[in-house]
Amino acid sequence: MEMFRSFKISGSALAAEKLRVDLVAGNLANMHTTRTAAGGAYRRKTIVFAESYSKARSAFAGKGVRVASIVDDPNPSRLEYDPEHPDANEEGFVPYPNINLAKEMTDLITASRSYEANTTAINTFKSLYLKALEIGRG
Amino acid sequence: MNLYSGAIFSNPNASLRIEKKETQSPKFNEHFKDFLDSANRQQLQADKAVSAFLNGEIEDVHQVMIVTEEARLSLQLAVQVTNKMIEAYKDISRMQL
Repeated sequence: MEMFRSFKISGSALAAEKLRVDLVAGNLANMHTTRTAAGGAYRRKTIVFAESYSKARSAFAGKGVRVASIVDDPNPSRLEYDPEHPDANEEGFVPYPNINLAKEMTDLITASRSYEANTTAINTFKSLYLKALEIGRG
Repeated sequence: MNLYSGAIFSNPNASLRIEKKETQSPKFNEHFKDFLDSANRQQLQADKAVSAFLNGEIEDVHQVMIVTEEARLSLQLAVQVTNKMIEAYKDISRMQL
């Protein structure tokens, strides 16, 4: 319903930020993963957002945000010397995922704050709507 | 005093249209029923969303909350419009002849 477009827009952002939290969770879970289906160490996943819009005739055609793609971080794996490890190469180095814990935590906080901001937008729209219903009362 | 002066100001054909509506428009209770039906549809949608969430078909909890809020706001709007309609009806029924 067009009346609740604010809800739709903020809702798309909530879904996108939730996916970002999922990605960070995946990155943290796989911080020490040395084996993947594609071979080699796990690669850090990052998310790319894109603006979502409709072809509506109204002046504002925004529909919020959508997830354009999930891409692998191109940075090389971190090499750690551990000759006993089964995945060590000939020189005794183990390729570990290119994940920086501090970076992941920053991402997590950013995602969580964005989520909060969008719920605030939803609640603001709701209180505006309820205020409008008070027109003519009393 | 012309109650529709605002509407006429923005649309010169407004007065004509209003007259036409008065002769052809559906009955008051039909309008009312349509309106309540639309609010009811939102409630049913919210109901469906909640059960879909509980069945695991919807993963995002915010989707459920948004749909239920939409239903709540629609119901509030319906209640307000109902109040206004009843008020207008009472005003007319109390009119001294």
